[in-house]
Amino acid sequence: MSSYRIPVGPLHVALEEPMYFKVDVSGETVTAVEIVAGHAHRGIEYLVAKRNIHQNLVLTERVCSLCSNSHPFTYCMALEQIAGIVLPERAEYLRVIADEIKRIASNLFNVAITAHLVGFDTLFMQVMELREIMQDTKESIFGNRMDLGANRIGGVRYDLDADGRDYLAAQLRHVARELLEIRKIYEGDASFLRRTRGVGVLPAADAARLGLVGPVARASGIAADVRIKAPYAAYDRLAVEMQTGEDGDVWSRTLVRLREAGTAIAIIDQCLKDMPGGPVSIPSIPDIPAGEAIAKSEAPRGELIYYLRTDGSDKPERLKWRVPSFNNWSALPVMLKGARIADIALIVGSIDPCVSCTER
Amino acid sequence: MPEFLSPVLAVAVFPGGLFALALGLLLKGIDRRVAARLQRRVGPPLLQPLFDLIKLARKETLVPETAVTPVFRGAPVAGLAAMVLAAAMIPIAGVYRPDPALGDLLVLFYLLAVPAVALMLAGSASGSPFGAIGFSREMVMMIAYEAPVLLALLAVAVRGGAAEGRPGCLSLSAIVDYQMRNGPLLLDPVLWPALAAFLCFLPANLGVLPFDIPEAETEILEGPLLEYSGPGLGLFKMMAAVKAVVVLGLAITLFLPNGPAGAAGLALFIVKCALFMIAGVTVTRTAMGRMRIDQAFRFLLRWPLAFGVIGFAAVLVRW
Repeated sequence: MSSYRIPVGPLHVALEEPMYFKVDVSGETVTAVEIVAGHAHRGIEYLVAKRNIHQNLVLTERVCSLCSNSHPFTYCMALEQIAGIVLPERAEYLRVIADEIKRIASNLFNVAITAHLVGFDTLFMQVMELREIMQDTKESIFGNRMDLGANRIGGVRYDLDADGRDYLAAQLRHVARELLEIRKIYEGDASFLRRTRGVGVLPAADAARLGLVGPVARASGIAADVRIKAPYAAYDRLAVEMQTGEDGDVWSRTLVRLREAGTAIAIIDQCLKDMPGGPVSIPSIPDIPAGEAIAKSEAPRGELIYYLRTDGSDKPERLKWRVPSFNNWSALPVMLKGARIADIALIVGSIDPCVSCTER
Repeated sequence: MPEFLSPVLAVAVFPGGLFALALGLLLKGIDRRVAARLQRRVGPPLLQPLFDLIKLARKETLVPETAVTPVFRGAPVAGLAAMVLAAAMIPIAGVYRPDPALGDLLVLFYLLAVPAVALMLAGSASGSPFGAIGFSREMVMMIAYEAPVLLALLAVAVRGGAAEGRPGCLSLSAIVDYQMRNGPLLLDPVLWPALAAFLCFLPANLGVLPFDIPEAETEILEGPLLEYSGPGLGLFKMMAAVKAVVVLGLAITLFLPNGPAGAAGLALFIVKCALFMIAGVTVTRTAMGRMRIDQAFRFLLRWPLAFGVIGFAAVLVRW
């Protein structure tokens, strides 16, 4: 068998973002993978220290499009921790709603891409059509399809009146119905199963050793979810079902994401039911004192950690975030070892890598 | 008109050459349109494949530094030439009988292998590692689908020839004549296994899902075609278009050639091509994902080969 080295990336048709892997192959089998990180570094952490805390709310929302709500959400939590701001209860529920809406859309996006990567474009279209319902919902409620602009320091910038609640509930019913059908396809379609079962397996031991987070870890059987282990916002009052898989292959990662979209719908339903009345944010934002804080949340891809240090001025002294994809792509060498060339893009896509978060 | 001119015209204008190319592009347009509708999309205009060709013709063919230039430039020409010649060998009942000088079923079978070989040459000559992977995949596919389809072709030839008192007669015209007298072989249960083998061969040979493995876009970036641009790429697209006509025309010849003479026969032939395209290619490719090369190899050497063997044996037993 001939051995050679093929480049996957930096720009690869099958990967949505610039990623660069140097893959050594022998025939059709991968023997080694070298991840070349830092291809699209944008210096956003530096930029953060040059802007004031309000401008940074806008900036963090634009770190990444798919997790665009998780960033300002977590940033606000860190700031509020430093300033000792206590949120009105309604605001906490509204934050959860915004985050879970984004989670449904983000998970569906990855699930659709997985179908595209195995060449099943009809399924891709079908899931994207379903995701479009969420995009419409976001546009109707927040005025935007991707960046919601839902968070502000000390609360949220939107409210749901009775009409809004009914509309959201109706849209979610629609999505839940279609989601069931789509799950049947992903669970039972022979042409999807034969490409994804037993492919890119990550054993639980490796997942724990490499510190994986989010759906990737859960698909390997690691029950880790920030919403359950360290509840924030309103999650301590909500029932969140832990979704885990057993096989740790591409298929179980896909299914965990699909099931979590279902869980997100259940969470939003609870929020709509339990949400108390009252203001959606604190009346005025106090000065932010010097201090430091760590906040974390469960982004669609896993645990997102924000470290923030302030010095009493209106600009953060240091803001550092650790995104879930940073942990998760350390699993790629394990998953890709011994894989087929045909499965490289599929396996990379299955960790749902968010390069714009990771290489900011 | 001098005697020697008619085969030349057959290859260059009708039913090879221009006619086959136009029909191939139309079929491709229909395929894309129907696939789009099956996926609840609008889809491109019917003439989109032609627009693509015109665009490509006005561009430059870039030859990579690492490429072996004569092979890189020659491969698409060879592939297209073989297909244009093959198109002239497909009879259209009541409209066109190929000149025996052009060759029989066996020659057609060999010509059908040329596009795959051209793609292999192109892939290996381009100097790209993805081209090399495409090369090896194309070769594996060819090994897997050649045997079953040969058995299916022979089954039809023996069946048709036996009735004519000349079993094993490999003339395509004879196969058409037999069916014109005795009804299409599509309705002959003895040949259904051969038909099944041929239907598996259709997407494999045309390189569409679930067998578009040598050119898998999301895996190896179109493989052999990766380094091609402009007219070079256009020639490969023309080759694929004419090849679709040849393979679908062969399917019609083998199983359902019946039709009236004259313009109506030609129209019916075009309609049959479109129907075979939709049933055998479009629906298949929208209903499933891609196989991995090892899965496709095992699949093709299991079912189609089994169908081919059964079909051939059934015909021999009946004869």
